[in-house]
Amino acid sequence: MNFFGLTLGILTLLIIGLGFVWVIRGERYFGYLWWPYVMGLGILLIVVSLFVNGIWSSALLGVTGASLAWGATELKEQAVRAEIGWYPFNDKKILPPLAKIIKKWKAPHL
Amino acid sequence: MNFIGLVAGLAAFFSIWFGHVAVRKIEFNSPTIWLPTVFFVIAGITLEWFSLSTSNFLLSAALGIIGITFLWDALEFTRQQNRIKKGHSPANSQNPRHARLMREYPAVTTLDLLKRDPLGKPVSPSEAVKLIH
Repeated sequence: MNFFGLTLGILTLLIIGLGFVWVIRGERYFGYLWWPYVMGLGILLIVVSLFVNGIWSSALLGVTGASLAWGATELKEQAVRAEIGWYPFNDKKILPPLAKIIKKWKAPHL
Repeated sequence: MNFIGLVAGLAAFFSIWFGHVAVRKIEFNSPTIWLPTVFFVIAGITLEWFSLSTSNFLLSAALGIIGITFLWDALEFTRQQNRIKKGHSPANSQNPRHARLMREYPAVTTLDLLKRDPLGKPVSPSEAVKLIH
């Protein structure tokens, strides 16, 4: 029996679960315009995982990176949820560098 | 190069994506939610069984992650139905189960209020409806 995949699957579920928390909090305090930075960080973690030797450290970097990249695509919808009043709305957001340029881009939603 | 992180990351990203779309589509169209729930539980357990049986770590990782997301998706059918009841996700009037929910829960709507870009300010319920038209 090889418990690697099952254990990794359960840890992945917990990491995705953290995604629920940071997408909600992150959108509230920082706003959805951070999405390119979050996606970039996610992709960077996956690239770093290629150069890490341990199977656990590499695998956990990979799924954390994937979860960040996915969360980046959820931020826009979360911003709309807060505007509708399904989540608390905060209008004093800490905007990212180049926010004005990012606003012109189409935020991804899958 | 160590490909385990890339494989695990791709398995996680694409199984989240698949589950996100599949749960919404299936719950929208299916007259029952127990049938897809049972199907996803069986698929998840089967994938975990294969993950436990292989000595290949890349395969074990991918199957382990996809299997657990399928098991989570099984739960999501109920969570998605609860979103429909609250009007947080669009109902399908052609689906007899949703038609019943429309009669029983006043908040149920066929509108997808999230289908727009953010404005940067809070909106009233009537504005929220206008914004998606």
